[in-house]
Amino acid sequence: MTLDIRTIAPSELHEEMLRLKTERQMDFLVNLVGMDWGEEGLGVIYMLESTRTGETATLKTVTADRENPFIPTVSDLWQIANIYEREVYDFFGIKFLNHPDMRRIFLREDWVGYPLRKDDKTEEENPLRMTDEPLADTTHEYFLKEDGSVGVKENTVWGKDEYVVNVGPQHPSTHGVLHMRASLDGEIVKKVGLVLGYIHRGVEKISESMTYPQLLAMTDRLDYFSAMQNRHALCMCIEKAMGLEVSERVQYIRTIMDELQRIASHLIYYACMTMDTGALTAFFYTFREREQLMKIFEDNFGGRLIMNYNTIGGVMYDILPSFVKEVKEFEKALRNRFKEYQDIYTNNVIAKGRMVGVGTISNEDAISLGLTGPVGRASGWKNDVRKRHPYAMYDKVDFTEIVRNEGDTNARHWNRMDEMLESLNIIDQLIDNIPAGEFQAKRKPIIKLPEGCFYQAVEASRGELGVFIESKGDKTPYRVHYRSSSLPLANAMDTASRGQKFADLIAIGASMDFVIPDIDR
Amino acid sequence: MNNKSYLGGIIEAVKSLSIGMKTSLKVFFEKHETEQYPENRSTLHFSDRNRFCLEMPHNDKNEHKCIACGLCQMACPNDSITVTSEMVTTEDGKKKRQLVKYEYNIGQCMFCNLCVQACPHGAIRFNQEFENAVFDKNKLLMQLNQPGSKVEEKPKPAPAAKPAAPAAAAPKAEAPATTETTKKEE
Amino acid sequence: MFDFSIVTKWFHSLLCGVMPEWTAIGIECLIVLLFIIVLYAILAIVLIYMERKVCAFFQCRIGPNRVGKWGLLQVFADVLKMLTKEIIKMRQSDRLLHDMAPYFVLAASFLTFACIPWNKGLEILDFNVGAFFFIAVSGIGVVGILLAGWASHSKYPIIGAMRSGAQLISYELSIGMTMLTVIMLCGTMQLSEIVQQQADYGWNIVRGHVPAVLAFIIYLIAGNAECNRGPFDLPEAESELTAGYHTEYSGMGFGFFYLAEYLNLFICSAMAATIFLGGWAPLMIPGLDGFNAVMAYIPGFVWFFAKAFFVVFLLMWIRWTFPRLRIDQLLSLEWKYLLPISMFNIILMALVVCLGLTL
Repeated sequence: MTLDIRTIAPSELHEEMLRLKTERQMDFLVNLVGMDWGEEGLGVIYMLESTRTGETATLKTVTADRENPFIPTVSDLWQIANIYEREVYDFFGIKFLNHPDMRRIFLREDWVGYPLRKDDKTEEENPLRMTDEPLADTTHEYFLKEDGSVGVKENTVWGKDEYVVNVGPQHPSTHGVLHMRASLDGEIVKKVGLVLGYIHRGVEKISESMTYPQLLAMTDRLDYFSAMQNRHALCMCIEKAMGLEVSERVQYIRTIMDELQRIASHLIYYACMTMDTGALTAFFYTFREREQLMKIFEDNFGGRLIMNYNTIGGVMYDILPSFVKEVKEFEKALRNRFKEYQDIYTNNVIAKGRMVGVGTISNEDAISLGLTGPVGRASGWKNDVRKRHPYAMYDKVDFTEIVRNEGDTNARHWNRMDEMLESLNIIDQLIDNIPAGEFQAKRKPIIKLPEGCFYQAVEASRGELGVFIESKGDKTPYRVHYRSSSLPLANAMDTASRGQKFADLIAIGASMDFVIPDIDR
Repeated sequence: MNNKSYLGGIIEAVKSLSIGMKTSLKVFFEKHETEQYPENRSTLHFSDRNRFCLEMPHNDKNEHKCIACGLCQMACPNDSITVTSEMVTTEDGKKKRQLVKYEYNIGQCMFCNLCVQACPHGAIRFNQEFENAVFDKNKLLMQLNQPGSKVEEKPKPAPAAKPAAPAAAAPKAEAPATTETTKKEE
Repeated sequence: MFDFSIVTKWFHSLLCGVMPEWTAIGIECLIVLLFIIVLYAILAIVLIYMERKVCAFFQCRIGPNRVGKWGLLQVFADVLKMLTKEIIKMRQSDRLLHDMAPYFVLAASFLTFACIPWNKGLEILDFNVGAFFFIAVSGIGVVGILLAGWASHSKYPIIGAMRSGAQLISYELSIGMTMLTVIMLCGTMQLSEIVQQQADYGWNIVRGHVPAVLAFIIYLIAGNAECNRGPFDLPEAESELTAGYHTEYSGMGFGFFYLAEYLNLFICSAMAATIFLGGWAPLMIPGLDGFNAVMAYIPGFVWFFAKAFFVVFLLMWIRWTFPRLRIDQLLSLEWKYLLPISMFNIILMALVVCLGLTL
């Protein structure tokens, strides 16, 4: 959808945000995008949504000062803004007043410059460093003094007496190169901090120099377990911006593929969850069924993990004649095995002990932390994008949104288990009725988007994945931003695991099911 | 588990544990899923949509279809294709661009299929040769046009050249076929 | 049943005939030592191979199959790999304790290994407080594990070692209690005597019926925990502590821990076979004389190994099925469930024995 953006001066920002949050109940900060508008200055775009009324609002604020840009923080209103603002600080150098923790988050602490600024000379100023990466235990907070000037004070993140254990970047249970620093008191976790960026590839920066069809190659590599949905989001965003209609056949195919991808992702989740809690055998059970699905993917798209399937205006290949039959076979196999998964793990008394009542997140926290997807739905927040802003075939199929209210690991686990069955239901309704039609709409070889800001969200396997594109009418985008579904999940580790056991930290991390390339982008 | 009695808790625990043990023992005697590579090479099946390595099909007269237009190079998001061309004057006096070297770096390739889609003549395609590991990084850089090859003459397409390059047109050709089958199932 | 003491006595008198008794005993000790080490190594190889195959079969895989026929040489290849690995020296670690720790674990494992009666008359350490000695020496292992954790000067190992200390000390109680149950039934602590009684009066698990079966189950759970094996593998909890107390060990230091872990599994199973399943005593069913005669024809050590490996398989089956417990759940399982139940079980066994209700 095209965004309708209202501009606010930085000095009035905090007041206006507070008003929106309290009076218009905008309690969900969907996205926070740092921007460099060149002459106009540096700024931030805020996308808000109300979980009660469904209203949305988009605001932007700009500061012309490129040397010392200051914008008031909103991290006291929405917890998720804390990490989003650190990201903006890291890439644009915008300092947020009263933000308690202004450290870099993705880049090294000794990085020079701010890479997403249009005038940054990243490669000249940052040669390959052979020294160890510094990890500061203290941080700065900028605040406005009474006389209007900006003051700095030092905050301590990790005290001298704390027993800080580094979980990652090389650790069996961080699902990649996530680095969590956990402060322990015996076996009890006191605090968790994130050190991100070990596989940051600068997808958003690279995207600025690519044409729209070339952009597509990036999305599969964000959250590789939601490759299909990511690319769906980007394709839809571009299609809607350029006003391209896709055929009904494509809509059917995309919806089915999204749901198959979701099942594949949740099967992986089950495997990781069991492995992280020590049940190594159950790990292999879902891989067995997933292999069948992977075979279908491989035959139809020519790829198992990186599928490159959706294209602007359609899909890369039409589905094979055998597709319908194979999907039905897979469905039958999965339904048969489903009870086995629960027998060996979920209903097991040990697994229940590890999951029930562990890592509870309240409904308010879930919304404030922006925890979309199965995790947010486990805390009783109905946040399914498929219901909130239906796309593709989702408004025509009949499915229930799985919601639980406990907010613990068990609820998150069961949400995913039930969602697999729900995905099968959706596929059931569509698979026999795929209409005839073209699988690729006709379009010009060179794609140019009209000027403006566009945003499109889909329900990826881990929650809302949004694509934000600002176009200046060229064949390359001016700015691309992905609303990662995993970053809020990783950020919630601190809230969820405080006061829990160290072993629970791992189990909670598994139940969040974040994917590191999606966090780092 | 506080709401359960001590003994009830134990009985329930033993029950759930024994169900788990029963399940795992059942799987113990099931068929193993392991596929033994490289012994299974002969049974390995890949669909022709699998993208493993870019190739430029040549017919038996050592002719390819590339006119060195460079569209693939422009479409590539990762600069893995370099087309070197030269201008030559043909016999009838017209100036014509001719392919000298078509270099492809598989080490940089993302296998996104944009180059194959961009090609107006179906001169390149992906093949299903998947054993691409090498010990030397330089070997990842390949030259796709064979030495001494030249572009296929357009006006009189050699009949032998047709079976050499069916893949590029394949997806389009499949489309009506699939539509028919889905109709039947309806 | 063939009595091996005939062979050993004949050998002893043979040696005494040609040399003074003290040299004879010295030579015998050397031979026994050699026997233990060789058997220890062979069993380790068999167990590691078995673990891999069993684990693979539980996980729809086929396990090692590249090194040698059916992967039989895999373990040897692993040993070779471990021997050639660089020994990593940790800065600021306590070198002496760090290097000593694996030997403590290994020594405990060897000493308990020596207690097992292999066959009638084939016992190495056999005296009237055998069961007590077994429990006592198995406690040395925890010293090695704590040392390993402490001396590594690293955070994961120390968490692993502390967990291990709490776990081993707790579960030793249950092991002691269940062994006590059997000792009450048999009226002796001498392991050879316990087996002899089972050969005469039937296996303890049948003879002691309800309390013995309960004791057997508790022994298996506690024994499994004592071996640091899943679902009680918290001290090395791979997905939490990478490798627990032996995270910082490389090469053969790690190899010793690995070796001891597998042998402890066998020792635990062998002890279960000895005190509950009749050790080397063959399967006898009263009334079926022909069957009994055939069973008695099978040598005792075959019976012993068959039973021990049956228990090993049982423990592997448990390990490869269940998720891991958390430390508080682990301790509450011991202190709230296993220990009270086994105490109650002792009373039950006392009643059974006093009232003559044994089968």
